[in-house]
Amino acid sequence: MAKKNTARAPLTPAVLHILLALSTGERHGYGIMKQVQADSQGKAKMGPGTLYGSMGRMMEAGLIRESDKRVDPEMDDERRIYYELTGAGRAALEAELKRYRGVVAVAEGRLAHGH
Amino acid sequence: MATNVAGRRYRTWYAMLLRLYPRPFRERFGEGMAQTFHDLCREHRDARRGLFGLALWIFFETSVGIVRESTTHMSQLGKTMLRVALGALAVLMVPLVASQVVEGWNWPAGAFVRVYVLFFVTGMVFALVARRMGAWSYKAGLGVALVAGFALGWSNMVHVADSGNPANLVYYSVLGVGAVGALLARLEARGLARTLFAMAATLAVIAVILPSGAPPYLARNMAIGHGVYVALFTASALMFRHASLAGLK
Repeated sequence: MAKKNTARAPLTPAVLHILLALSTGERHGYGIMKQVQADSQGKAKMGPGTLYGSMGRMMEAGLIRESDKRVDPEMDDERRIYYELTGAGRAALEAELKRYRGVVAVAEGRLAHGH
Repeated sequence: MATNVAGRRYRTWYAMLLRLYPRPFRERFGEGMAQTFHDLCREHRDARRGLFGLALWIFFETSVGIVRESTTHMSQLGKTMLRVALGALAVLMVPLVASQVVEGWNWPAGAFVRVYVLFFVTGMVFALVARRMGAWSYKAGLGVALVAGFALGWSNMVHVADSGNPANLVYYSVLGVGAVGALLARLEARGLARTLFAMAATLAVIAVILPSGAPPYLARNMAIGHGVYVALFTASALMFRHASLAGLK
């Protein structure tokens, strides 16, 4: 039975990056990896072990799901499984970004006052 | 050319490494992980970069993932075992309470231990096999088959002990058909449907050919008992067939 992500605990960096990569559309594993690399300007390096381990937990939590298996027109003729965000995944991403904005606002306020 | 050969070799080794993941994880993501590794190798090859550094990093990173997923898997297995152990204890309460209430029910302590082990093993078989797929018809078919098989084995054991008639041991052939069939079918729905039909047919043949020597009123009860077991095995077979026809396994 899949556990739904009802709690709004902070997300791990890998989960946040995967949610962000899928926020603009469905992607296959390699596509997610490349998007994470692009989003982080090459700073976040994610291997298949971290990527698929995180995706397994995210699927259990109902944050993402498999969409279908098809050929990527920009790559070869191999069929690939695509993944997409669920409603809960999008809500978790929005909540995390809101949390980040709050933290940034506090930090900027303190830095502005020289603390 | 050398990079192509190295790439093929690394992909073969990576496929072997992926076999170390727990089976449910491997079945779900193994193909995608192998494909992603292939894509990364191709990306490096196209950029005319060596594969050794990439392979070293990916193999290490994946090994860490294998340890993490195996730990999670073992922890889930531990939880399943605890749940089944508690469930078996709850079911054991039935004969335990009955032995206090029903006159003449005098099981020695060893019998309760044996019954508990049987309940636990049956429960674990259900828990481990049923999670192979999510279809309700597969789980229901498995549940009915295990309960009917357990009841047949148990009642026959008691009957043989009471009557001392070794001819009744022939009923164990029904369970033998089930065990062999399940192994041959590799627990897939289509094969299990055939196995359960075979078990029902074996039991029906035994019921017809085995002379009971019982008085008419007892023979009628025995016929009803046989009929119930045949119906249960057939119902289980039909549920497996449903799972198979739905293309679920």
